[in-house]
Amino acid sequence: MTELFIRLMRKPQGFVGVVLLALIAAACLFGPALAPYAPEKIDFLGRFRAPGWQNWLGADQFGRDILSRLMVGARSTVPLAFIATFVGSAAGAIIGVGSAYLGGRTDEAIMRTNDAVLAIPGLLMALLLVSTLGNGAGNAVIAIAVAFAPGMARVTRSAALNVRNQDYVKAAIARGEGAPWIIFREMLPNVMAPIVIESTIRVSFAIMLFATLSFLGVGAQPPASEWGLMVADARQYMHQAPWGLIAPSAAIALTAVAFNLLGDGLRDALNPKDER
Amino acid sequence: MLSVTRRLFLAGTAISLAGLPKLTLAEAPKRGGVLRMSVDQAASVIHPMLARVNPEYLVTELLYSNLTRLKPDMTVEPDLAISWEPNATLTEWTFKLRSGVTFHDGSPLTADDVVATINAILDPKTASPGRTNVGPIKEVAAVDPVTVKFTLTGAYADLPVALTYLNARIVPAKLIAGDLASLSTTANGTGPFKLAAYEPDRRIVVERNPAYYDPARPYLDRIELLVYPDRTAEASAMISGEIDLLLTTTPGEYERLVKADGVNALRSPSGQFLNINLGCDQKPFNDVRVRQALALAVDREATVGFVAGGYGTPGNDTPLSSAYHFYKNIPLKKPDIAKAKKLLADAGYPNGIDLTLVASDKPSTRTQLGVAVREMAAAAGFRINVQTMPHATYLDQVWKKGNFYVGFYNMQPTADAIFNLLYTSNAAWNETRWNNADFDALINAARVETDEAKRTALYAKAQDMMNADVPSVISAFFDLLAAQRSYVDGYVLHPRGSVFRLDMVSLGAAAPKRA
Amino acid sequence: MTLAWFARRLMLTLYTVIVVSMLVFAITQILPADAAQSLLGENATPDALAALRAKLGLGDPAWLQYSRWARHVFTGDFGISMRTSLPVGPEMLAALSRSLLLTVSAILVTLAVAVPLGVVAALRQGRLTDTGVSLIAYLGVSLPEFVTATLLALLLADTLHWLPATGYVSPLEDFGGGIRHLALPVLTVSVILVAHVMRMMRSETLDVLKSDYIRAARLKGLPERTVLFRHALRNALLPVITIIALDVGYLLGGVIVIEEIFAIPGIGRALMIAITTRDLPSIQAGALIMAATYAVTNTFADMAYAFLDRRIRYD
Repeated sequence: MTELFIRLMRKPQGFVGVVLLALIAAACLFGPALAPYAPEKIDFLGRFRAPGWQNWLGADQFGRDILSRLMVGARSTVPLAFIATFVGSAAGAIIGVGSAYLGGRTDEAIMRTNDAVLAIPGLLMALLLVSTLGNGAGNAVIAIAVAFAPGMARVTRSAALNVRNQDYVKAAIARGEGAPWIIFREMLPNVMAPIVIESTIRVSFAIMLFATLSFLGVGAQPPASEWGLMVADARQYMHQAPWGLIAPSAAIALTAVAFNLLGDGLRDALNPKDER
Repeated sequence: MLSVTRRLFLAGTAISLAGLPKLTLAEAPKRGGVLRMSVDQAASVIHPMLARVNPEYLVTELLYSNLTRLKPDMTVEPDLAISWEPNATLTEWTFKLRSGVTFHDGSPLTADDVVATINAILDPKTASPGRTNVGPIKEVAAVDPVTVKFTLTGAYADLPVALTYLNARIVPAKLIAGDLASLSTTANGTGPFKLAAYEPDRRIVVERNPAYYDPARPYLDRIELLVYPDRTAEASAMISGEIDLLLTTTPGEYERLVKADGVNALRSPSGQFLNINLGCDQKPFNDVRVRQALALAVDREATVGFVAGGYGTPGNDTPLSSAYHFYKNIPLKKPDIAKAKKLLADAGYPNGIDLTLVASDKPSTRTQLGVAVREMAAAAGFRINVQTMPHATYLDQVWKKGNFYVGFYNMQPTADAIFNLLYTSNAAWNETRWNNADFDALINAARVETDEAKRTALYAKAQDMMNADVPSVISAFFDLLAAQRSYVDGYVLHPRGSVFRLDMVSLGAAAPKRA
Repeated sequence: MTLAWFARRLMLTLYTVIVVSMLVFAITQILPADAAQSLLGENATPDALAALRAKLGLGDPAWLQYSRWARHVFTGDFGISMRTSLPVGPEMLAALSRSLLLTVSAILVTLAVAVPLGVVAALRQGRLTDTGVSLIAYLGVSLPEFVTATLLALLLADTLHWLPATGYVSPLEDFGGGIRHLALPVLTVSVILVAHVMRMMRSETLDVLKSDYIRAARLKGLPERTVLFRHALRNALLPVITIIALDVGYLLGGVIVIEEIFAIPGIGRALMIAITTRDLPSIQAGALIMAATYAVTNTFADMAYAFLDRRIRYD
């Protein structure tokens, strides 16, 4: 594990990714404690205040401090995207590995159905689910997890197919091990690498999907300080107070970049043979 | 016994003004041209009896006519009816129709069409919003081809105003008897324009009706209504000259439009408001002290700033703004957190109270008000959780049923109309269930009162009562905000919010030539 | 490409469409707000609501409603929109054509921009150009579309006044105007596509350039230009087709946001309106059309892939 980390940090992408993520994690953990103002405190006289000593990143249409909202909002944005990706990947991984294990016709049937579900664009699937379940951040997480599952299933299956044909799996089958044991003890650990890489990159999609759902009005609800919601609200005032738009957009972009970099770095670190 | 002058007043002596264009320019308006107007949502329904939102009211106003129309000062002028007269007890009204009016298909307008239309609106099967808003009509009959007589269930001074209601547009009797539903996709009216193209989510095109009863108007050849769902993009389109007239906009975009070259930003105070409805028949709002506490926690000037962007007037917990005729200027309630806390404690909540406030997502100002009130009332011990939901779900599950939610209402033509819509015990939309018999008595008395001074006194008492008892918290009235290019002439932003009169609009010399 | 191959693909597409329609139907059945209430609005009497529910068959069991709908769709009848009372099929297809205009233009722009950029970045690997291009690509995929759309509109329309900020003009009515109005939306959509394709192009070109195949071509003494264009590029382009086919899924989702902001009456907007107003026939038709488009596009992509692949192998 430590040598993986060292390999990761040696590459520029890995290094920058890890550093950025450390910053973001710090914001998630200590944000509320370090924020200069309460994120929901409205200040009538401070509406649209430009960035300055009172509000380092400026204030929004209610006079709320943008920096504080960003710091506290990290908690609403990043962990939720993380959870959505995790759940979606877990579900997808089980389907994918299970399908690869079962092989033959069953594998085909499962995958064809999986591909059919994949034909529904992710945003549309999330929208439909959120309309059904109701608006709100929690339901958005479920919706995104469901939207991600088929894609992850596909990735996992191709990796798992490789593994299935390996000798140690054939040996386990010959030994008479039960299916769940084979799936979870022999196959899954060896497909971890592609799953982890793909998931890491997907977290950045999840963050953007979350923000888009908030923009369309079905994700996080006011007065939450979720970053996507901040951008959506700031759009109508962007000509008066562009900082309201730029700060959360930059935060989203930075986080997405961080996860992308980490994913790339992991791919390089986990496949030392391929020098790119 | 009514004085002669009073009867004349009620009988609509605006005959002399019938048909005269309202000239606000030095020269006569230019004829011709194509006007491009933007709306913020699709007009899904062009059936005049079923229209529910402003773009739909706009389209049906272009294609159809009412018996009477509202002027910008909220008084009545003739449309299809040229004069009207009540009987001595105000229980019967006789309207004389214009002659020579034809529908778009050429058939003539007669009193039968008026009778059929009114009956259809009153029929519950039609499910028209106009049913309870056109006045207390018992029956309507055609006396002769140009005379219609209304018999009311009780004395009612405002029938001519009630008939300006946005769903009371006159439709051919033969369509009502035949295929009324066809009006959802086609149009056959007496309005200044005819329907040329109908793509509901994209654009609607209307063309000048050459057979319109007023030969001088409309001035425009064609109007194109385009849907722009995103306000920011819509304002950009106005600034770049893609559209000539914008139906409505938000304070944020308004600031942009004020500064733009070639654009006139329009603003008009109106009676449009958001109310926070308190269910007066259940805990905790059945205790007047809790309601008063909430009212004292809200800073009304701040609400105008937050929710209306400064473009509004503070509200005093009555639905009448200064734009209404019988408005009483009661001193504005100032926030008093200490008193609010004490009232809450007296009512049995010394440690504050937890509440859930529901706000639908249309318009977005509902949520903004919710958030602002949440912060303001927190100091007094109200721990409010704002819950947003899609408008369709809100209509289905919360509206008229919920205990604590944000409502949104346009200005009505008269004080009686708004009180009877929301706050009397048998109101069509009795959201607060306040059911205050004294209040009902005041409103009912004012409705049949013809003496101006007495009427004013009655409505003043009613407003005082609402201010003291707070069935709902009304903290701000919104100004209407719109915009036009400077070459557009004759457009007046009507405080009612749903009257447009595009037949008075013309394009100046600077207007671009459009195909 | 044998007939059997086509037949299989057709069956697959059909299967996809059926699964999608069932899934969407199932989801819409659980939608909380009653369609009748949504249609009639505030003023519905309970009788009117009951009458409308009966008329729309909303009380029937789910499987019955589904089979009724499926039967109609089979004959090409997508039903009547609950909101506008107009037939759903023609409206949706017209909307689709406008979205296709947008997406196809975006794909063409992407190919024209991303392929050269990717190759250049590969050729100048490790140097400033490479890093610069990669950086821009990263940024492109790190912003949600509505942010990119807003920023691009702010820059190109509101500040520089080069392009109109919004609106749709049919190129059939006014070609020049149509192009100008499409420019911003196409640009916005292309940003993410360019990023994907460019990175793929770069890594594939790098791989191919190192391969034995290319080494052999160089040893043969072929000029570098021929090596690059005739051999390396063709091989590197193959995965690009796969990427674009996969991205069609993203595109179809992305148009929802883009069309909302830029007021384009395409299928994304139509779906958005249908979902918010609970217009069930429109939701089902729209989702079906999107899924079918995706399936058909993938089939074409596979065809193109196989075609190119064979040519390259025989070369």
